[in-house]
Amino acid sequence: MEKTIIAVVGGGIMGNGIAEVFATAGHLVYLYDVSPELREKALDDLADRLQRKRIRGKLVESVSDIMQRVRTVNTLDELSSAELVIEAVVERIDVKQDIFSKLDRICSPTAILATNTSSLSITEIASVVQHPERVVGMHFFNPAPVMRLVEVVSGRFTDSAVVEKIVQIATAVGKLPIRVTDTPGFVVNRVARPFYLEALRIAGAQVASVQAIDHIIKAAGFKMGPFELQDLIGIDVNYAVTVSVYESYFQEPRFRPHGLQRSMVQSKKLGKKTGGGYYTYDR
Amino acid sequence: MTASRVLLLGDRPVCEEIIHWLSAKGDDVMRFTDALEDYSTVSVVIECIADAALRKSSLERVEAVIPEHALVYVSGLNAYVTEVASWFKHPQRVCGFQPWLIASMDVLELVRPLQMEQDELWKRAQSFWQERGKQIESIADYPGMVFPRILAMIVNEAAFALGEAVASASDIDIAMKFGTNYPLGPFEWADQIGLDEILSVLQGMHRYLGEDIYRPAPLLQKLVYAKWLGESSGRGFYSYLEGSKQDIGGGQQ
Repeated sequence: MEKTIIAVVGGGIMGNGIAEVFATAGHLVYLYDVSPELREKALDDLADRLQRKRIRGKLVESVSDIMQRVRTVNTLDELSSAELVIEAVVERIDVKQDIFSKLDRICSPTAILATNTSSLSITEIASVVQHPERVVGMHFFNPAPVMRLVEVVSGRFTDSAVVEKIVQIATAVGKLPIRVTDTPGFVVNRVARPFYLEALRIAGAQVASVQAIDHIIKAAGFKMGPFELQDLIGIDVNYAVTVSVYESYFQEPRFRPHGLQRSMVQSKKLGKKTGGGYYTYDR
Repeated sequence: MTASRVLLLGDRPVCEEIIHWLSAKGDDVMRFTDALEDYSTVSVVIECIADAALRKSSLERVEAVIPEHALVYVSGLNAYVTEVASWFKHPQRVCGFQPWLIASMDVLELVRPLQMEQDELWKRAQSFWQERGKQIESIADYPGMVFPRILAMIVNEAAFALGEAVASASDIDIAMKFGTNYPLGPFEWADQIGLDEILSVLQGMHRYLGEDIYRPAPLLQKLVYAKWLGESSGRGFYSYLEGSKQDIGGGQQ
């Protein structure tokens, strides 16, 4: 069977990670980004990662063979032959809607238009296209080449055959797809909220220290405690996800962010990346 | 360590795990019965009874027959330990503990309630577990403690999502294991520990802390009413009949 031609819109960390997943699995991948510099950087980053994998013996194919299947394009018009377009640009509804309305005109009517959004509504993105049945969420996790989960999100009008096709494609490239309806935070970003928020409430009420909470939670089997994990993700990033889920659920109190999070963000102690968050790190 | 004569109150699966674990450590564990046994050599009492009324009457009967110096560990899962201690004539020897996953966790959460004023007693309360290999994390007296409180809230959010048909039970479990590295999915975990255990933690927080955020998900409540409590009853969020785990949608289909 011929492999689906994939287009990836956006060459940032998620976009080029997704391009790596498909190119490594033998798909032809068109990669679009707005400027020559960004396109070049995306290709360089991808090739670097593949090179490191090859050195560690984790690639059967040569880097150049894989890279031959990745082609950068200067305009969205050049994506017309793609059968699946995966958009991975900035999380802004206006930017995404603009891209989808263009793709709607450019791509063949049978092409599937997918978005890698983690926080926007699939239904809202799909509202600007002629046939919202072909718009679907395909939410990869960072780093996309490593994390196996893909949330396949159906909007209000997504065709179930489109969902099944995406499930099939994701499975074929070694991912674990799950079917999710279009609700704020989907599954992971919603169900993971209490891991952080309840820990913050426990620490905030002086029930236990940050260190004690992490110690207990790891003893129970989690690989990292809620505070260590916030430090790794970035306290600002984690806080932004919480705020987004909270606002999207019309300020449902279960998702209410905690003052301690905000205070950490205000202090600019954002975790590992700044050398300190709930813990301090050598830089 | 010196082996102790331990009196255990409660008949939930978590209690069985505690009995096995202590017996393997060499302790002489007995259950509390109404038969006229001799409890005068009991040095440690461990209690995890969920039902509040039964809990109070059992503890009162036990205190009448055990020595005055025996240490009493009561579950901190769904009430203030200080309140439970207040039912005792000698409340200063009452301490709170976290009963879940006793066999697998090398850390034990302990609560020192207001009445345990003497440092000597608190030291004794900790060393019983330390001698048996546990590291102690001493936490303040709040219903649900740390691990049960966090896990119950994760399960509750997952149960809300399942009830709203956001995804299937097995897909939600896969999501949390592979999207964010949880060792078990929320429903697998709930089925292992017991849905009644999870619900009782949520109810305790809801009652004592008085916040709407601890309101148990309707689906979780209904499963407990139906006595589908997880692996121990052959059915919970999944079905375990015929020896294999099956996604039955938490009774949602």
